[in-house]
Amino acid sequence: MKTIRVLVANQPRLMRELVLATISEQPDIEIVGEIRENGEIEQAVEQTQPDFLIVALEESDRLPETCRLLLEKYPHMKILAIAPDRNTTIFYWASLSIRSNRIETSEFGVLNTLRGKPQLAGRVM
Amino acid sequence: MSETQVGVYIVSANRLLRESLARILNKRADLWALSAQEINATTAAAIKDSGAEVLLFDSVATILSKSESIEEFLSGAAHWKTVLIGMEMEEDTNLFLQTVRRGVVGYLLNDASAADVVSAVRSVAQGGVVCPPRLCRILFQYVARQAAEIPSSRVRNQIGLTRREQQLVPLIARGFTNKEIAAHFNLSEQTVKNHIHNILHKVGVEDRLSVLHVYRAQGFEI
Repeated sequence: MKTIRVLVANQPRLMRELVLATISEQPDIEIVGEIRENGEIEQAVEQTQPDFLIVALEESDRLPETCRLLLEKYPHMKILAIAPDRNTTIFYWASLSIRSNRIETSEFGVLNTLRGKPQLAGRVM
Repeated sequence: MSETQVGVYIVSANRLLRESLARILNKRADLWALSAQEINATTAAAIKDSGAEVLLFDSVATILSKSESIEEFLSGAAHWKTVLIGMEMEEDTNLFLQTVRRGVVGYLLNDASAADVVSAVRSVAQGGVVCPPRLCRILFQYVARQAAEIPSSRVRNQIGLTRREQQLVPLIARGFTNKEIAAHFNLSEQTVKNHIHNILHKVGVEDRLSVLHVYRAQGFEI
């Protein structure tokens, strides 16, 4: 079985730990790294080549510029951006251009998106 | 839910946080956890009926909400212990003090770990309080400042100083100039001069140093 390789870079620390707790017990998901500082993301992506990068969604609901550049450089990778302080999660992927869908902020939503079933992740906006 | 377990009710708009934090707490033999998205009439009743001892919030805005239902709910804080994880804010002295006034007895900054949350829940359930050292310092400073600034009715009765005039005396003792006192209270320098003039007149002395002598001679601490 091919595992889904995930790099976790959420802020703040508690949110990162909760995301790790959510995905760490899944047999089909491999955590390839945990990033504590946003400045380390680019290097970690280059080293680990994950299928998914999970980051914090900024207040403005905009994807951090670093992630935009990463999606252009690694179009096979997908990004899940989770707001720590509100019920908002956005799934980004690069397909010709960068595209996004809002998904359900829940364990179910996150796990289904990682498994390539974002349509099961709840209401798409 | 056994009688020896501590019940925790998590209130958070973030469903992922609610679910995963509840799962982490429920893995501990001494804890059980339920969660709600917000405080409203239905969830308030559910929380009360649940027998939870600890309320866990992740939003300063919710704790400080002007909503009647939340104000009424938190006014019953004597029934449970409230822990706040400051997820959405930087360290803010005023917000911190406001949450303490609302009954928060456990405060975690947004760099807290899941283990810190578990530890905080256990501590407040046992009657303790949880406060990061740098916020403890703010509490100490606040209490000290209050003690220095609370006017005494005895001073008013014996010397006749107004509340504002009494507030000036500790600053005079610390050697503040009129300009510094004005900046401290956000007053004009002329207003401070007027207050000082009135103090000298009421105490019956001609200079600031004598005010302090008389004040101490009357048995007041400065």
